[in-house]
Amino acid sequence: MSLGKLLMSFCQWATHTPFGHGIRNSVWLFPAIEIVHLLALGLLGGTILLVNFRLLGLRFWDEPLRDLAKEVRPWTLGSLGVMLVSGFFLFSSEAVKMYGNVAFRSKMTFLVLAVVYTFTIHRKVAMSREADVAPRWRRLAAVVSLLLWTGVGVSGRLIGYV
Amino acid sequence: MWFVSLLQRLHDTGFSTTLRESIWAEPAIETVHVLTLTLFLGFAVLLDLRLLGVCLKRRSVSEVLARLNPWLAGGFAVMAASGTLLFCGDPVAFYSTIFLRLKMILLALAGLNVALFWVTVGRKVRSWDQAPQTPRGAKLAAVVSLVLWVLIVAAGRAIAYALPPP
Repeated sequence: MSLGKLLMSFCQWATHTPFGHGIRNSVWLFPAIEIVHLLALGLLGGTILLVNFRLLGLRFWDEPLRDLAKEVRPWTLGSLGVMLVSGFFLFSSEAVKMYGNVAFRSKMTFLVLAVVYTFTIHRKVAMSREADVAPRWRRLAAVVSLLLWTGVGVSGRLIGYV
Repeated sequence: MWFVSLLQRLHDTGFSTTLRESIWAEPAIETVHVLTLTLFLGFAVLLDLRLLGVCLKRRSVSEVLARLNPWLAGGFAVMAASGTLLFCGDPVAFYSTIFLRLKMILLALAGLNVALFWVTVGRKVRSWDQAPQTPRGAKLAAVVSLVLWVLIVAAGRAIAYALPPP
């Protein structure tokens, strides 16, 4: 089976789930889930910005970045979890329509890249001792992270317009 | 009524018409508004979590306040400017929705909450910011802030659904 067919059958499955039906047939469920999605965006973005600002060399606190990164990680993971679950529910209400939506495809591509990058290279740089990675590599790690997450956000915003 | 006719005059200006008729202005401004939420709301929540004593515990409250406040001010300015631009694109329609009015009232309350914090428990922050537990007043301000921002985001999202179709 080709990847396209596999994704299409996944979209068809999601559309026909009970929650897909329920959200589609409700006036207020979709906006309500969107609100949860946006609130989690605030916290996820805030924690990611804080770590990246530090990688860029902006001054916040003198504590080592790895301690800060460790402390905000549960909040990053928690809000990412809420975003993925609420996002999946929103998707399920119009999954077949999303299959052909260019902005949605772009968002999912950026999302996979951003998540993989965050938990591999970015995490490694953030957790390293500041002396072990040259400032320009730390800045590059932050810029790549910001670009990937901005790609997710901007494509997400455009889903409704294309 | 005078206010609605004032909004109608704003609606008829070239500025408002350009915003309304441009294909990309609304999506672009909306994207800025939503993405700045990460900076403004994200940092506001982090500050509230610090006031509750559950995150950024290693740093004193006054230090967290001092470092986050400039970003909060800048983020709020971008939110307010982009929000005002969105409003200017269709002022009469926005004003007609209950959710816009509700959002403005809630924003005023959030401002009042910040002011109350600073004239009460916040004024003496240096006397308690090294303590393992934050005072009850600080926790109350943080909870009120979190509740208000949840409602403000909810009201904001509801505006889009309450607007009359173009």
